[in-house]
Amino acid sequence: MDGPRAARLIETVLRCYPARWRRRHGEEAAELAALLIRDGSPAGSVAWSYLAGAARERLTPRPGLRLTAVACALLVAACALGVSAGLLAPAAPARAASTSQAPGRAHCRPGSPEPVPGVIPATGRPQVIIWEAAHGRSC
Amino acid sequence: MAVGRRDDGAGHDVLRRAGEASVLILISLAGGPRHGYALIQDIRELAGVELGPGTLYGALDRLERLGLIESLPADDRRLPYRITAPGAAALRVHLDSLERVSAAGRLRLRLGGI
Repeated sequence: MDGPRAARLIETVLRCYPARWRRRHGEEAAELAALLIRDGSPAGSVAWSYLAGAARERLTPRPGLRLTAVACALLVAACALGVSAGLLAPAAPARAASTSQAPGRAHCRPGSPEPVPGVIPATGRPQVIIWEAAHGRSC
Repeated sequence: MAVGRRDDGAGHDVLRRAGEASVLILISLAGGPRHGYALIQDIRELAGVELGPGTLYGALDRLERLGLIESLPADDRRLPYRITAPGAAALRVHLDSLERVSAAGRLRLRLGGI
């Protein structure tokens, strides 16, 4: 990779760091990258190191921001639960409606379960529940 | 085998989980103040480890937050760092701990005839 292209790549990657980090280390980091590339380090590996560092910098909670990070994590978890519930909700009425077709479904008849790889054959009620869970359906 | 933490009166080893980069940076700074590029060169010479610049800055910020190193006034665009007294103490505790583990390992290899 030629000089100007490498410099552009490093400049782009350094923009991934938070502004606070760039204010403190930005100029020195660009100069350090140029020196390392001049010494023979591949520009790609220098850029990758900065990219990984930027990801760590953004993901590592800072002491002052710990509460904010916890609040964000709770918000993300709540959103994820909401999305999951939203995805499952439309499936519930359809599942309820399909119970009328149960006699036609061979896997619901006792004694004729389909073999499922990795699932222990059902011999009692608890294992039937496991079998049902593995299929994501109920009889 | 249970792995426990024991201080043996030698103080708490804060560098136990700090990572190799942090320890190498402290060892390098024990020889005098250095900026980023000088640290990378020194660590390459003393340990044969090629420290990535992203790893370097991450470790420097972490060590500074822990109060184990401090930055000096910028020299042009370069920011030199120096080891603090708590940093030197932490490094000493960590190196002592490594020495004990190393000695135990060597003894076991000898006793095992390996």
